Amino acid sequence: MTDPAQPALLALLLPACAFLILAVVAPLRRRGRLAAGLSVLFSAGALVAAIAALRLTAGSDGFSEWLWAWIPAEAGPLASVGVLADGDSAIMLVLVALVSFLVQVYSLGYLSDESMPALGRYYAYQSLFAFSMMGLVLAPNFVQLFICWELVGLCSYLLIGYWYTRPEAARAAVKAFWITKAADVGMLVGIVLLWRHTGTFDFLELLQMADGRVIPLAGLGVITFCIYLGASGKSAQFPFHIWLPDAMEGPTPVSALIHAATMVTAGVYLLTRTVWLFRLTPDVMQIIAWNGAFTALLAAVLACVQTDIKRVLAYSTVSQLGYMMAAIGAGFASAGFLHLLTHGIFKALLFLGAGAVIHAVGTNDIFRMGGLARKMPQTAIVFLVGTMSLTGVPFFAGFFSKEEILGAVLAGGFPGPFAMLLLGAFLTAFYMFRVVFITFFGTPAATHGADAHHVHDAPPFMALPLWILALLSVGIGTLFAFWHPKEEFETLGWLTPTAIVVAFAGIALAYLVYQRRAISADALARAFAPIRAAALRRFWIDDVFSFIYRGLMLGLAKVVGWVDRYFVDGILNVLSAWTLTAGDSLRRLQSGRAQDYVYGIALGVLLLLVWVRWPR
Amino acid sequence: MTLEVVTFWGLAVLLIGSALSVVLTKNLFHSVLWLALSLTATAGIFLALEAEFLAAVQLLLYAGGVVTIVVFAIVVTERLVGERLTQTSRHIVTGVVLAGALLLAVLRFLRGADLPVERPVIAVDVTRALGRVLMTEFVLPFELLAVLLLVGLLGALYFARPEE
Amino acid sequence: MPLYAYLTLAALLFAIGFFGVVTRRNTIGILLGIELMLNAVNINLVAFARFNADIVGMVFTAFTIPITVAEVALGLAIVILMFRMRRTAIADHLDILKG
Repeated sequence: MTDPAQPALLALLLPACAFLILAVVAPLRRRGRLAAGLSVLFSAGALVAAIAALRLTAGSDGFSEWLWAWIPAEAGPLASVGVLADGDSAIMLVLVALVSFLVQVYSLGYLSDESMPALGRYYAYQSLFAFSMMGLVLAPNFVQLFICWELVGLCSYLLIGYWYTRPEAARAAVKAFWITKAADVGMLVGIVLLWRHTGTFDFLELLQMADGRVIPLAGLGVITFCIYLGASGKSAQFPFHIWLPDAMEGPTPVSALIHAATMVTAGVYLLTRTVWLFRLTPDVMQIIAWNGAFTALLAAVLACVQTDIKRVLAYSTVSQLGYMMAAIGAGFASAGFLHLLTHGIFKALLFLGAGAVIHAVGTNDIFRMGGLARKMPQTAIVFLVGTMSLTGVPFFAGFFSKEEILGAVLAGGFPGPFAMLLLGAFLTAFYMFRVVFITFFGTPAATHGADAHHVHDAPPFMALPLWILALLSVGIGTLFAFWHPKEEFETLGWLTPTAIVVAFAGIALAYLVYQRRAISADALARAFAPIRAAALRRFWIDDVFSFIYRGLMLGLAKVVGWVDRYFVDGILNVLSAWTLTAGDSLRRLQSGRAQDYVYGIALGVLLLLVWVRWPR
Repeated sequence: MTLEVVTFWGLAVLLIGSALSVVLTKNLFHSVLWLALSLTATAGIFLALEAEFLAAVQLLLYAGGVVTIVVFAIVVTERLVGERLTQTSRHIVTGVVLAGALLLAVLRFLRGADLPVERPVIAVDVTRALGRVLMTEFVLPFELLAVLLLVGLLGALYFARPEE
Repeated sequence: MPLYAYLTLAALLFAIGFFGVVTRRNTIGILLGIELMLNAVNINLVAFARFNADIVGMVFTAFTIPITVAEVALGLAIVILMFRMRRTAIADHLDILKG
């Protein structure tokens, strides 16, 4: 079997089967453990198939396609579904399958307190999500991409709102759905416009047209911008980033899967996949680069003031997504894609580690933790590994990819964004190590363990994925130290040392403030007081959206309601009033007097005579 | 100026004059008397049309019977003397307009019609013919008429019965 | 005299009778108007019977005259009844069926 499309298809269908079985066979789903086992098994199978597909595409630049004509028509099918397996999609497939599998295993431990039917529901959703995400990754055309895009959004809603009885969770789920849906409208517009522009949805055909310079350039900017809108919704670019921090209401494994490694990267993946289209519109690329850098910096600032460990990681994700987008906008999509892959690994690791901490301590607030390194050594080690990857310490996974991005942005001719990204790197190191020092080191908080959780290290189901991811982080980091994918641009010599210095500067600052207490945290806070205050209000971006929704939409609803009440109902009421008045008036014909009726008869006879004799 | 023409015009003037008086007189009793005159004039018209039997019937039943009945009714209802015309009549203008319109419509209708001018010669005796037809072709309606009159009689008696 | 002379006469009589029906206040006055209208009809019928040499017209008249008499009798009986109930013979006061 040399065709990578076949194992890719298998990897796609296995979670789908798991979902269908769990969805249809309710008794199986209600036996939570059994459902979980089924889902995990199929997920493992998908992982194996994905790895097989990867091996078959390794080293080749070719595409392997398998299509099924979903809407057949005379001049070729209107829409087809299937898989498109090439190097990028295969490796993304492995990432999705791997993280999905690890998260499902982890959930066995994390959600062990859930009721059985709820657990079955959770695993059904997980399988559905895996299927949707893989469908998105392997999509051969925009139609399947969009369908899976929406499915992924749906799964995100279902999983964020898993604990739907909690109002914050329900609100967060709706918020995520709303924001991404609003952005998706843009994407749909873009896709349809593209079809009008070129006549096809298919990626390969479009690629050929782009290479052959056949696509007309007029109006293409609008199209790519619209598609970028959709991508920025999913990938939490400014101003659509506001849903991601709130999405932390969902269970931590969900955050690890969806909001670190897979769904949020869908936007970046889409742009990578269609970069040949975006290259034709440099203006839009500029927007992407600047917005990406801005998002990175904004989110980094916001992360510095968070006290919820998961929120810090959420903003960190937004920031890193900004990095990826900036690289793509600069014209070097491969750098962004590489960072996507490494980020997927270590961010999932960080989230799962945070989950272990939350599971043990019973709270998300870092100021109610402290000194956990002693009580949870394994968790502390893996979390530290993840942090160092994120910060960009050499020999860890994130170092090379982050440096690639910095170099790409500079090589693409964007010094402004480069500066922003560099500052962002400093802040990233600062806030991540802030969390590490407060949570794992130092003295335990007075109220920690107040929930009478005895603080224990992660149980086996949770520990195993953690270690696998940690080892992967270190392994990839070391690998890149000695061998890395060829670069597409010239790296400047001073870049690597600068990046290292910046990262360590951030670590040092965090150490001084939070570990040594040499610099007072309060003094630091006072020094940046206005920024800090604004950051605590999330720069009022949420309020803007809230105003748009509440103010504009509800205001519009009120206006429409008024129109409905007074115009539509009013017209009907007027008509009925007229009917009543007409009836009243006509009633006077019935005077009750015989002579008046004789008048009527005479008039009738007259009219009859006239009518008969008229056509003389 | 044949006799026929003179007779016709004389009877016509009489008929129309008395008819107008019927509808315009204030005093109801006088109205009834004018009606009697117009009914008699009609009998005259029948004679001019060589329908002697009908003229006789008209005189007997109408001018005799109907007038008598109406007089009795007036006496019973005791409203003999009316005041001004507007209190015995209502909406005069509308009535005139509508009646005039009706008249004009009928006349125009007549103008376009193809009507015979000369009377055809009648060989048989009209009364005899009338009697024969009444007893042969129209005997059923004739009998039914008798029943109708009986029913009318009973009905009138019932209506006019004294109150208990 | 040609036929249309008689027909015109009848039409005129009919119009006068109609005028009487719609303008008279007293119910008996209305009945008198009806009598005139019926007379006009009879003149019509007899004239047509004569000029078309068809006896049926006269048969018709022979029927309408008695029927009219019966109708007048009944009508007056009703007027008398109404007078007994309402103490009025004015048609305008008899408007119980007013809508």
